[in-house]
Amino acid sequence: MKKYSIFILILFFTTAVQAQDFSKDIADAKSSYSSGKLADAHFSLEQAIQEIDMIVGKEVLKLLPEKMNDMAATTKDDQVTANVGFVGATIHRSYGTTGSQIEIISNSPLITSLNAFLNMPFVGGMMRNSTTKVVKIQGYKSRLEKQGDNENGKPNYQLQIPFKNALISITANGMDENSVMSFANSIPLDKIAALIQ
Amino acid sequence: MKRIVFLLGSSVLLSLPQFGHAQLLKKLKEKANNAVNKVVDNKTGVETTSSNNTESQSEATSGNRPVNKGGAGLKNTAPPDVNAAMEDANKSFSNKSYSDARYAVQQALVGIEIQLGHQLLKSLPDNVDGLPKDTTQDRVVSTQWGWNNMTIQRVYSDKKDKQCTITIGNNILYAGLVNSYFGNAYAVESNGKDQNVKQVKVQGNKAIISYDENKGYSLIVPVGQSSMVVWECINFANEDEVMNAANAFNIDNIKKSLGEK
Repeated sequence: MKKYSIFILILFFTTAVQAQDFSKDIADAKSSYSSGKLADAHFSLEQAIQEIDMIVGKEVLKLLPEKMNDMAATTKDDQVTANVGFVGATIHRSYGTTGSQIEIISNSPLITSLNAFLNMPFVGGMMRNSTTKVVKIQGYKSRLEKQGDNENGKPNYQLQIPFKNALISITANGMDENSVMSFANSIPLDKIAALIQ
Repeated sequence: MKRIVFLLGSSVLLSLPQFGHAQLLKKLKEKANNAVNKVVDNKTGVETTSSNNTESQSEATSGNRPVNKGGAGLKNTAPPDVNAAMEDANKSFSNKSYSDARYAVQQALVGIEIQLGHQLLKSLPDNVDGLPKDTTQDRVVSTQWGWNNMTIQRVYSDKKDKQCTITIGNNILYAGLVNSYFGNAYAVESNGKDQNVKQVKVQGNKAIISYDENKGYSLIVPVGQSSMVVWECINFANEDEVMNAANAFNIDNIKKSLGEK
């Protein structure tokens, strides 16, 4: 309990610091802009976007399930990365020790292109074959792919849920299809979509 | 992912010959029609109207699809109001509407980039190597993505066949690639006869000049960490002329405007 309290306190403190950073960045941008220093204003606004992406990432992490099937979330490996670039912002959470994880990439032009691929059946996107099929998770069309078996003979899956310019990828190793689907359905996708889009 | 790229590539390659066939068939059809018309004209003494015109008209009106005959086009809108966008960002952020806050900051960024681009265009010379500026081709492009934020373009032309285009871009990806060129000394070695790429200096800045028979001269100067200036010179007599054209621009001023060191 003590550990959780410390973690929540750190998270709260970090968010508070970032909120101040955002306001400072916008204030800096305003002052540079009013004095005609456009390049400086530009830099401050880019910083502000990174602050937003960091805050959004931490908010999304709060929404992700604590467990994937029987695997607990490894919260110490939680990671949020903000880039003002083509990579976009990334949010990462891993579960257990089998390499199972959730990876969210948002605000990336690369993802927009990737999502176009995912939506084209003739190039192997939203189609069905022996290893891939299209499923609906809370109304969102998604691509479920079986990626072989692990060393215990249990199947590994990857589920990709594309949004406008974001992509949620769930890697679920050593789980059957029903468990993957039930885990995916336990993620509050609408709330996450509202944050990352 | 590899499979997706492979399949897409294959589909494009497969579609190319079909496109070629269609073009070939169309040309053959046109030639055959012209030949038939000539024969008919000779026999009847009446000139047959060009089949191409009637074909294109029938194609355009086929399926009762209306054809656009005119319109005022789009009005130029002012770039986003930077101050208003920053206010919106602050408000949305304090309401925890992070998505809206992000959008507002992006709008402010676009507004600043457009203004910065126009300022830079104003500071560029009116004439380069005797070529006057063609302001109708001035272009400032800003995207919301950080990887290709801004492109500013100005064309100098004699309206005949000599032209110099300067493009100023803020592009981390390309600038990084060009900078990596300077780190690889072997890359500038020629085969001893055709040195079409070499390193030069423009106002103390490292640069690459290249020549291509079809495209003419290109001169690339990376500026600071993420920007670069590119000159594309068509029908310039020699590289000295290109260097003179480049030296008509104040690179330090461009660097300063872009916030580069």
